[in-house]
Amino acid sequence: MAVRRGAPGLAIAGFGVDFKSDSAGIITILRRRYAPFLAKQGRGLELTVFEGPNRRTPFRPCVESGAGRLKLRRGDFDAEIFAGAGRGKAAIAPNEQCLDAFLRSLISWNLLESGGLMLHSSGIVLGGKAYVFPGRSGAGKSTLAKLALKAGAEVISDEINLLRPGPRGWRAYGSPFWGEMRAGGRQASWPVGGLLLLKKAAAPSVLSCAQGEAFRTVMRCLVNFSRSAEVSAKALLAAGRLLAAVPARRLGFSKDNADFLEFIG
Amino acid sequence: MTIKKGLAYRRVAGELFVVDAGKARLHELNGPAAVIWEGLAKNRSQAEIAAEIAAQFEVDEAAALADVGDFIRELRGAGLLA
Repeated sequence: MAVRRGAPGLAIAGFGVDFKSDSAGIITILRRRYAPFLAKQGRGLELTVFEGPNRRTPFRPCVESGAGRLKLRRGDFDAEIFAGAGRGKAAIAPNEQCLDAFLRSLISWNLLESGGLMLHSSGIVLGGKAYVFPGRSGAGKSTLAKLALKAGAEVISDEINLLRPGPRGWRAYGSPFWGEMRAGGRQASWPVGGLLLLKKAAAPSVLSCAQGEAFRTVMRCLVNFSRSAEVSAKALLAAGRLLAAVPARRLGFSKDNADFLEFIG
Repeated sequence: MTIKKGLAYRRVAGELFVVDAGKARLHELNGPAAVIWEGLAKNRSQAEIAAEIAAQFEVDEAAALADVGDFIRELRGAGLLA
């Protein structure tokens, strides 16, 4: 099968993926769904993508690595990547949900391998810094992000944020992975100013929180599809380093207004 | 008595966090429980672990040994030991 060269490249959290595909459906979805994250090819993993079956199970992604090879599988995608060679191949069902799940699996792996992490969280920008609010379903991530947006703050994502350590500290990267807000995100990064654990309250407040409490929350909100002890150890290390470098506090906020913004920063 | 393969753990602010990625579970151990875990990780005997607990937490060794035995049964029940 001839592989079309017109497929796009993406750059997410500093990781490049150069897609090669003969599937017009996949190319169209990539260009439309990830428009803010399109990038010139030649800067990252070369991934040849074919259309695969749209099986519903297994629903949870499975990520395995060994001997320089990374395998990412779910009912609707099956990928094999040779990290050393910088290329791989994938069979992916041609729909947005599947491509999203595949890219979440790949980027979460890349982040852990590079000392970073993918976090279930809201992220907003205030005064040029990113503030990240980790929380599981129902914690108020989207509510907080909508209030912040309405008050004029930029939202990085209301569902999944991408954090990496750099030479000058941790940075939050623009995310294409959103929850209820379903926005597009953009390619950018900001120094992380703080982590704030969410607590719904009648009036806004910022309180100190124990490091163990913050660590527990980060670990529970961390996205990791690998079952290996080695990757779990990397996740523990990344969470520990993040909390050693970035202040963590508890934010009380009301769903009725954005007054909490005055307490951040 | 050994810790099951596939687990990762780390001490943070006095607590010990154990990740069981296979079951997508995070366990938290503090105080004597963390000391018992770390003793098992170093392949120490129950008596050696009990002596360590007696020294750190000012309890007598007999009581500590009973506590170690109880906690090891809990860990086994939770599927954290091989």
